[in-house]
Amino acid sequence: MAYSELIKSFEKIRSYMREFYVYGFKSREEYTKKSARSYDDERRRIESWLGGYMAFRRTSEGKNVFISVDNRSVTFNPLHNAWKAKSFTDKDIVLHFCILDLLAGGTARSVGEIADGVAELLSHTDIPFEIDESTVRKKLKEYAEFGVLQDEKHGRLLYYRLAEDGVDLSAWEDAAAFFSEEAPLGVVGSYLLDRRDEAPEHFRYKHHYLLHTLDTQILYEALCAMKEKRCVDITNFNVRRDAEVEHRVYPLRFYISTQTGREYLLAYHYRFHRPMIFRLDTIRSIKAGPVEKQHEKYESFIGKFDENLWGVSTGSDYSIDHVELTLRVEDGEGYILDRLEREKRHGRIETVDEHTYRFVADVYDAGEMLTWVRSFIGRIISFESDNHFAVSRFYDDMQRMNEIYGGGEEV
Amino acid sequence: MIFSEIYGSYFKAVAAILAKAVEGGLTEQKLTRTVLENAFGESLVTIPAKLKDGSWPLLTEGFSTPLQHSPYLPLTTLEKQWMKALLLDPRIQLFSPSEDGLENVEPLFTPEKFVYFDRYSDGDDFSDPQYVEHFRTILQAMHEKRKLRIQFHGHRGTRQNYFCIPYRMEYSSKDDKFRLITGFKGRPLTVNLSRMDSVELLGSWDEDEYVLPHEREETLVMELYDARNALERVMLHFSDLEKETERIGDRRYRITLKYRQGDETEILIRILSFGPVLKVTVPESIVSQIRERLARQAALTHN
Repeated sequence: MAYSELIKSFEKIRSYMREFYVYGFKSREEYTKKSARSYDDERRRIESWLGGYMAFRRTSEGKNVFISVDNRSVTFNPLHNAWKAKSFTDKDIVLHFCILDLLAGGTARSVGEIADGVAELLSHTDIPFEIDESTVRKKLKEYAEFGVLQDEKHGRLLYYRLAEDGVDLSAWEDAAAFFSEEAPLGVVGSYLLDRRDEAPEHFRYKHHYLLHTLDTQILYEALCAMKEKRCVDITNFNVRRDAEVEHRVYPLRFYISTQTGREYLLAYHYRFHRPMIFRLDTIRSIKAGPVEKQHEKYESFIGKFDENLWGVSTGSDYSIDHVELTLRVEDGEGYILDRLEREKRHGRIETVDEHTYRFVADVYDAGEMLTWVRSFIGRIISFESDNHFAVSRFYDDMQRMNEIYGGGEEV
Repeated sequence: MIFSEIYGSYFKAVAAILAKAVEGGLTEQKLTRTVLENAFGESLVTIPAKLKDGSWPLLTEGFSTPLQHSPYLPLTTLEKQWMKALLLDPRIQLFSPSEDGLENVEPLFTPEKFVYFDRYSDGDDFSDPQYVEHFRTILQAMHEKRKLRIQFHGHRGTRQNYFCIPYRMEYSSKDDKFRLITGFKGRPLTVNLSRMDSVELLGSWDEDEYVLPHEREETLVMELYDARNALERVMLHFSDLEKETERIGDRRYRITLKYRQGDETEILIRILSFGPVLKVTVPESIVSQIRERLARQAALTHN
């Protein structure tokens, strides 16, 4: 099949874009174990969609391709472009514009009238372009499902008209610009902005993560199932096992990290009889199942489950780790206490003395807190927990860091 | 359906071309320019050819069209549902868009379905009327290309007063805060909206006054040892910054990233949080700060 910059399925491009964006050090040879042509085509497509955001580097291992973006300087997520590259047939695009033209102004027409109208609009060309009534009917039905057409019965005949939308998009421009970057399913905001001649460029973003847009379809499918209170069958790629695993779960919440951009699905797992968390970027596909009659029971688990969740890890056995982090805060370092207060997600702060404060919490996995604990290096009097593995790791890491940077006390 | 050609760049480009054809002003150059403005890098190879060779018989001789109307696609249900969902977001009060046309639409999602588990808890108060007024005044100034007089209290409580051109409003999801990006005497100035006491709209600025102050960028080089899935964790965590990664050995990588000088302390904390899997080699200022913190830490641990 001839190369096209458009794609039929999003799944393959999802993994390539992720690789180019997150890593960017792999050479062509590392991607081409399965198919060199596939790699070349995908790279070329992404280059076409992202233009100046693609970068190249020659190394001894070959040519490396990567996506390079200073997220703080971009007004709109360039990766949204991938969602605007869906392939279509000649009939799809021709029917699209003919139907919109024939129904412009709010006229209602029957399927037959529309089919005749399309033939009339295309009569100027000698090149045969046949569109039968059943193709037109199918397209009209599809557009009614999109909500852009309304159908109505006139006797035995089905009529269609353009859907009324009393929305003043100009009043939404700024909101659409901001939320296209900051709300779930932001690509929809990008679609809205595409309808305008120009999108306002008044906003920019710090701590801005772009990659999650590639998981939009998964998030959308899960969201639809949640709305209808359905369970879902997910195919998840298990990184440790290097294999796809099927799970039937009841979807409950999305957990979003503002510090890595990672997105997760919290769901009740039927086979394991407990809530579990899945990374959205490892979910390959998601399919809605039957309506869950006991949805209230599973929803009621969330509050209790969240009480001890520091991030997204429940540890290996869902047991609770007690944690105490004691910090030294000197005069004029009130900002450290401010940090503690705003960054703690659970637990409490105790004043030990004028310069000593203790953060106390009970969490599923003390090990998950280590990244946060280490951010206080230089002020930690002690880190204690009944999770001895986490404590050992913390002190071992400190020793290792001292070795790396040339010995702590001697510096 | 999220992934559909009706939202695609090709349909957008062709709609813009047909709109020009309906008006009667389409030319070869305009067709080319419209494709370049609305579609992808290689679309110029496809779209004009398809319109001319009869594959998409929507244009006639002389860049005319049999269509009578400029293409108009009503909003899809998905788009309306997304907009309706935004009306439930506390930040929508900053914009206050019209709800007309969305009365009988179900929101695509509700805020409680999303948990931002590591967002800081001292974010801005988006329901504070004064904050909302300041936000809207700044936005109005940006729309109308006007200057502002802002008064705010700094970190140490000192009151400050600036006449400035608003360039951008910057939002951080982690901090849940807006900041005004502006400049004063050629230097960049960033002011938290929550610190503003008053915002006054002034007259228009001239084009030659609008010079975005250059924010000094620094380069940081660090080596990563890929233990405990560190490679992926680090790559994702720092993916908000412009960076390059090279493999320099077995499970060893060199990462070069750019950061704004004003963010040095934050970058230092982010690096420290990864522990011994990262070793900063450049700049020396960050290396010495890490050493100093480690020395302080060692003293605390041994006492």
